[in-house]
Amino acid sequence: MLTVIGMLPSMSRWMVTLLLLLACASHAASARTLEARIERITTTVATLDAVHVRLEWPANATEGRLSLTAGSIDAPDLGYHYRDLTWQCPLRREAGHWRCDGALRGGKAPPLQLAVELDAATTRASLRQGNAALTIDRRAATPDDTGIDLTRVPLLWAQALLSHAWEHGRFKSGTLDGRLRVRAPTAQPLQVTGTLVVAGAALETPDATIAGESLGGTFAIDYRKTPRRADVTIDGALRGGEFLAGNAYVALPATPIGLHVEASQDAGAGWQFPVIAWHDGSTLAAQGSAAFDARTDLQALDLHLHSGDVSPLAGRYLSGWLAVAGLTDLKLSGAIDADARIDKGRLQSARVALHGVDMADAKGRFRFDRLDGSVGFSSAAPTSSALHWSGGQLYDLDFGAASLPIDSGGGDLRLGAPVSVPALGGSLRFDSMILRPPTADAGADIRFGLTVEKLDIGRLAKAFGWPAFHGQLSGRIPNARYADERLQFDGGLTLQVFGGTVQASALAMERPFGVAPSLTADLALDDIDLQSLTGVFDFGSITGRLAGRIDALRLVDWTATAFDAELHTVRTRGVKQRISQRAVQNISSVGDASFASTLQSQLIGLFDDFGYSRIGISCRLENEVCTMGGLEAADTSGSEAGGFTIVEGAGIPRLTVVGFHRRVDWPTLVERLVAATSGDVKPVVE
Amino acid sequence: MTSRTKGSQGSRRWLRTRAFGLHVSTVALLAACVTINVYFPAAEAQEAAKQFVEKVIGDQGQPAQPSPEAPKPDTPKPESKNPGGMALEFHFDPLMLVGIGQASAQEPDFKLNSPAIQAIESRIDARFDSNLRDGFQAGALGFSNDGLVVVRDASKLGLKDRVATNAAVADDNRDRKALYREAAVANGHPEWEAQIRKVFAKQWIAAARPGWWYQDASGGWKQK
Repeated sequence: MLTVIGMLPSMSRWMVTLLLLLACASHAASARTLEARIERITTTVATLDAVHVRLEWPANATEGRLSLTAGSIDAPDLGYHYRDLTWQCPLRREAGHWRCDGALRGGKAPPLQLAVELDAATTRASLRQGNAALTIDRRAATPDDTGIDLTRVPLLWAQALLSHAWEHGRFKSGTLDGRLRVRAPTAQPLQVTGTLVVAGAALETPDATIAGESLGGTFAIDYRKTPRRADVTIDGALRGGEFLAGNAYVALPATPIGLHVEASQDAGAGWQFPVIAWHDGSTLAAQGSAAFDARTDLQALDLHLHSGDVSPLAGRYLSGWLAVAGLTDLKLSGAIDADARIDKGRLQSARVALHGVDMADAKGRFRFDRLDGSVGFSSAAPTSSALHWSGGQLYDLDFGAASLPIDSGGGDLRLGAPVSVPALGGSLRFDSMILRPPTADAGADIRFGLTVEKLDIGRLAKAFGWPAFHGQLSGRIPNARYADERLQFDGGLTLQVFGGTVQASALAMERPFGVAPSLTADLALDDIDLQSLTGVFDFGSITGRLAGRIDALRLVDWTATAFDAELHTVRTRGVKQRISQRAVQNISSVGDASFASTLQSQLIGLFDDFGYSRIGISCRLENEVCTMGGLEAADTSGSEAGGFTIVEGAGIPRLTVVGFHRRVDWPTLVERLVAATSGDVKPVVE
Repeated sequence: MTSRTKGSQGSRRWLRTRAFGLHVSTVALLAACVTINVYFPAAEAQEAAKQFVEKVIGDQGQPAQPSPEAPKPDTPKPESKNPGGMALEFHFDPLMLVGIGQASAQEPDFKLNSPAIQAIESRIDARFDSNLRDGFQAGALGFSNDGLVVVRDASKLGLKDRVATNAAVADDNRDRKALYREAAVANGHPEWEAQIRKVFAKQWIAAARPGWWYQDASGGWKQK
């Protein structure tokens, strides 16, 4: 409806003529009816077709009845198109000017109240609906200028204007207040300038990928339009509201945000934004330019961002992306500068400079302290940067300060030199690393070589709340690759523990930072001192040497869910093979109190320890069931059919431990063993 | 599970549903005493997926509980079995003393009972009622044909809900992908992942309430 009123002043030239004719006629004593059919009226703003004007003036009446219909009204520059409009009003002459005030109807929309006052010098038209009013002033002396006053005008009235600039944009609610001046000189650009106050604006695209709500602000506007080109400058402040575009969600603060945008569009082409400036206090200052193609796809972007205080950044600007990435409530502090350049729809270069940034995952998966320096990315020409942190944490493991020289070019990021990160009393040395950021076709791909140097297993154990293991972890992983949420390692690690070694190979992780992280490995144990091992687990004492394997070990959420294990003692010169009464009792007292009073337990209680010739046990864990076995080719003649020997005794008294149940419920087994090793269960028999 | 015992219930059920498999398996069992299961146990997987899905969609607000009918290994028995003869020979069964009984020999061929899977199930169940059910009811969300949840029409949601729903859908799909992967690995066949996804996708759609949206095999959206 905006244009209906917009074009009325432009029509006034002929209307005034028409009315003057009528005025002459109205003085006549007899009733008159004047009728005009006009095929087309063309003004600088709008074109009216099939116009029909009819004025009835009964004899001696003080007012006439004006009826105006238009088959169509089109204002192509503003994007307004109407069909079948009717305006009916009583026409009267008051104090030297004409006035007509009546209902304007178009299609099925509720009628608007249109009032027009005009004389030879001025034209004034106002359109009202409820408490919304749009008033237009025009003077004959300045025929090209039109003043527009807006009072609580629904944004919906400007829908056609928006659609014209942005095909998919839809206003849902909001009001406009302010004053605009429209200049429409013949053969020169249409120009609209003025100040608008927007309140409670909501908009959305039909596919709902872009939406805004409760947006408000005050803006100075300058809009120029020729058939070939449109230019817009907006300068003002946004106040509150929220905005969603794809996964980006911006919750605007109550404090005003300075906004300056200059935009232009050539006919048939996309919008260009040569100047974009955004000023949100110390949280975010952005400057740059952007260009879209005719389908509103981003073609070019040159953006410089500065944040003097990044702590509100996550909640205000990044929450949408962080939530989708599973990093909700990321804690940030410090300051950053960032640059990004997109050309031909592709990221060409980007650089983030960090100034004392602390970053911590809300779920405690990682933390970086005092990040300084920068990370530069280039898809073409080489660039170098360096990043430094003073410490951090990965799950429960702390790591120390490190500096990363970073080279980039051709679309990836590389370590410029090996980097040592102190951790757990030793170090993790990254010999190389190549990171390829995610693209539209593929996710992120990281490859690295890692040397693990003398990590203290005691500290590792403490971090994970394990029993007090002691030893060292070293190894080399010449190639590791992370892609599709899977981390695969070539090479292996060696744990020096309990006087022996545990070799870990075929290491792999799935979803290392995601849901239910899993770790798989093959472990080979050799020359483990059983006395140290059982001492640590507080499960009684067994002396001897242990070897074996734990193949296809799979930890999910750091809990064992599958493995195929076989462990056995190895007779070693100079090493005694004894199992203590307590080791036996500790087992026997777990879960079966009745056994404590029986004869055999008391017989066991007579001895401090027992000699053994072999101990062996195997367990294949799958689907929460452990399929057990004992020593290979052991003598099980004394046991029940189907039993398997775990401990083969030696000397007197000769103790043989035979297992009967090959399929054991794993959670129960773990529960009991944990109770036994944590000292919750005390030996009952002395 | 890679092995298949001749008398197992799960095996019989599976064989009933696949007559051709019966012959092949029986012949293999008799001829070579080698039991190889190279087939995807579709019926068992479907049953397990059905229970999982019905628990999530079926009961509003109830946290996930291990399914009572799911076969479990024997629970520990406190009484000792035949310790009499061992006294003199110092023979005993430490596992018996620990109170751990024999696990059931009759295992189904497809299980969803690892702690990790149960933890994922609890999260999916809780999230469905707190964040996603309303989205399905409103027509904003749909079940995709690969077993995930998709925001198919965000305009059905308010702006605030849209942000929360986007996050919940991303979280849920991370859980779902982990579920399908872990279900395959836990059952000893990582290569079953795609089949398990399909089975679940079918079950999510089958359990969808009238009015909810889902994606058909060709990718088109349909309303139930």
